[in-house]
Amino acid sequence: MLVFTLRRLSLFMFTMLLLTLLSFSLNFLFPGEAIINLSGAINATPSQLIELNEAYQTHRNFFWQYMTYLSHIINGDLGLSMASQSDISTEIVNLLPATIELSLVALLIAMLVGIPLGFIAAIKHNKLTDNLILSVSMLGYSVPVFWLGLLAILAFSINLGWFPSAGQISLLFEIELVTGIQFIDILLSDSPYKWQAFSDATAHIILPACVIAVAPATIFIRLARTSMIEVLETNYIRAASAKGLTFQQIIFRHAIRNALIRIIRHVGLQFANLVTIAMVTEVIFSWPGIGRWLIESIYQRDYTAIQSGLLVLSCFIFIVHILTDFIYAALNPLARGIKYGA
Amino acid sequence: MNLLDIRNLSIELIHDEQSILAVDKISLSMKEGEVRGLVGESGSGKSLLAQALVGVLDDKWHVHADRFHWRGIDLLHLSIEERKALLSRDIAMIFQEPMACLDPTTSIGEQLTEAIDSGQLSGFFWQRKQQRQSAAIKLLHKVGIKDHNACLSSYPHQLTEAFCQRVMIAMALARRPILLIADEPTAAMEISNEGQIFRLLASLNQLKNMSILLISHDIENITHWTNTITVMYSGQFVEAGTTTQIFSKPLHPYTRALVDSSPSANLHLPAKSRLKTLPGSIPILQHLPIGCRLGPRCPRAQQACVKAPSVTNFHGHKVSCHFPLTPPSPLPKKIIKGDN
Ligand code: SF4
Repeated sequence: MLVFTLRRLSLFMFTMLLLTLLSFSLNFLFPGEAIINLSGAINATPSQLIELNEAYQTHRNFFWQYMTYLSHIINGDLGLSMASQSDISTEIVNLLPATIELSLVALLIAMLVGIPLGFIAAIKHNKLTDNLILSVSMLGYSVPVFWLGLLAILAFSINLGWFPSAGQISLLFEIELVTGIQFIDILLSDSPYKWQAFSDATAHIILPACVIAVAPATIFIRLARTSMIEVLETNYIRAASAKGLTFQQIIFRHAIRNALIRIIRHVGLQFANLVTIAMVTEVIFSWPGIGRWLIESIYQRDYTAIQSGLLVLSCFIFIVHILTDFIYAALNPLARGIKYGA
Repeated sequence: MNLLDIRNLSIELIHDEQSILAVDKISLSMKEGEVRGLVGESGSGKSLLAQALVGVLDDKWHVHADRFHWRGIDLLHLSIEERKALLSRDIAMIFQEPMACLDPTTSIGEQLTEAIDSGQLSGFFWQRKQQRQSAAIKLLHKVGIKDHNACLSSYPHQLTEAFCQRVMIAMALARRPILLIADEPTAAMEISNEGQIFRLLASLNQLKNMSILLISHDIENITHWTNTITVMYSGQFVEAGTTTQIFSKPLHPYTRALVDSSPSANLHLPAKSRLKTLPGSIPILQHLPIGCRLGPRCPRAQQACVKAPSVTNFHGHKVSCHFPLTPPSPLPKKIIKGDN
């Protein structure tokens, strides 16, 4: 397990190195002066500029510039937003938790819906249920998310009035920011309207999370279906049935576990996809997350914000990826051993 | 009374509206306490036959038989569930590649205890777990594994193939089977381990009077351990008889070739000369010859061979060939006619 952890850590270091290298080079590729792109100080006076040049070591070669850039990042200094001249790292700290919350809830919904449906399809392989589930998943996969989001707002918020259409929580509730994850903050707060706030926040998250979950859920259906079909054809399932176990025992004791292991490996990959969808959805549902902020920054050509936002988002995705790898290893005794290559 | 009596069992593969007769009218019978070898090249349908016996083939295979008796009970008249329940209680099976037959994500202990059927346990449900555990340990001792704790807590990939096969045998024994079907139990195993597994099976046969159907592609390898042998070729019945009959007086050209090609029969051959073998190789399922499927490779084939031969019985030595090798002196009595 130690070797496994070290491997993941070194992979993390290398990926971070590449990511920072990319975001660093973006400063030179974006139009405008590199030092302005880096710091975001568009209105800097000449004396401030000299200070900035000193801080980012622009007179030295690229290697040292990169090193100073790294040290700035490690110290939590991501520069100022060109559009609002506010500190980017505080903005990200305020916005990222909302995105984490939304995408994790969406991932949960996608898995809880997709995986069991895929298993059912695999068990009923080539029967009506299987075909039905497959066609529905095909449909869900082909629907574009912005259209689906608008449709959902139209149907569930405007016509039926079940769910609110925008925002994270009603403005009536004042929740103190502690962790940033709103549900935890609500539970931590000592407001007398705690439970009302909680149910309000739940009502707000359901619609966007479901819209995000549709496409990944269909992918999970397919993944779960193929891996279950593969598992059901393996020798150990055949041997288990020769051992006299009933079909249900085989499914619940052996097949589900082995199929889940195969799926978990792909969750990390699917998560990147999901975050992209979440960014678009955040715009539609005015969700105060980093995705909406990033898209707005792109509109405003806020280069400093774009490169920092990309860095933080990809870092987040990568951390989730590594976490799923750990879950995979915990579930799969084979991955923990020496035989595991990667 | 025969333990198992199968007459004219066929297995068809239904694929894209097409059907292929993978096993063509095989008859097989076993007595109580008997060790029977089932020999054939890979692709001869012997594993299929075994899997059909325990009922683990999936839907694309269709099995039918003229007669299927298990300890005097006609299984063809039972429903699928009843048949499966009866067979899984009395027949156990071990496979080749034992490691692939163990769930890689579940510990040996868990897999072994779940094979123990709760009917054997007495106590209340809170004592069950303990009882299962001790029953599992006893089973491991029976197959010669002494370090039971290490074994129970390990995962399949941490054990060697031979060790896994012992665990598989222990699992098979958990139901106290009357018949054990061993499908190439020692494939891909070293010689010393191979001997251990065979000795274990032989001792189980002698001590527990457990019948064993030993499936192998290597006739010489198993003659030492079997009482009787059935030979198959490309899904067709070839020859059946006692081990001595088959090995010393084969009647069928195919059995003759099998026996002749075994290394011990070739000991006196000069170095670097060719082994005696039949030309060609076993036909693939998509291109089966009509009539006797050995036809294209058979040195004795004649025109009559385009019709499948029927089984002839010479004092319990059954052979399915139009032109058997040593023509018998007394008039053979035909026991089964092929229907064409
Ligand atoms: S029936 Fe004919 S082809 Fe078949 S084994 Fe006998 S002689 Fe050969």
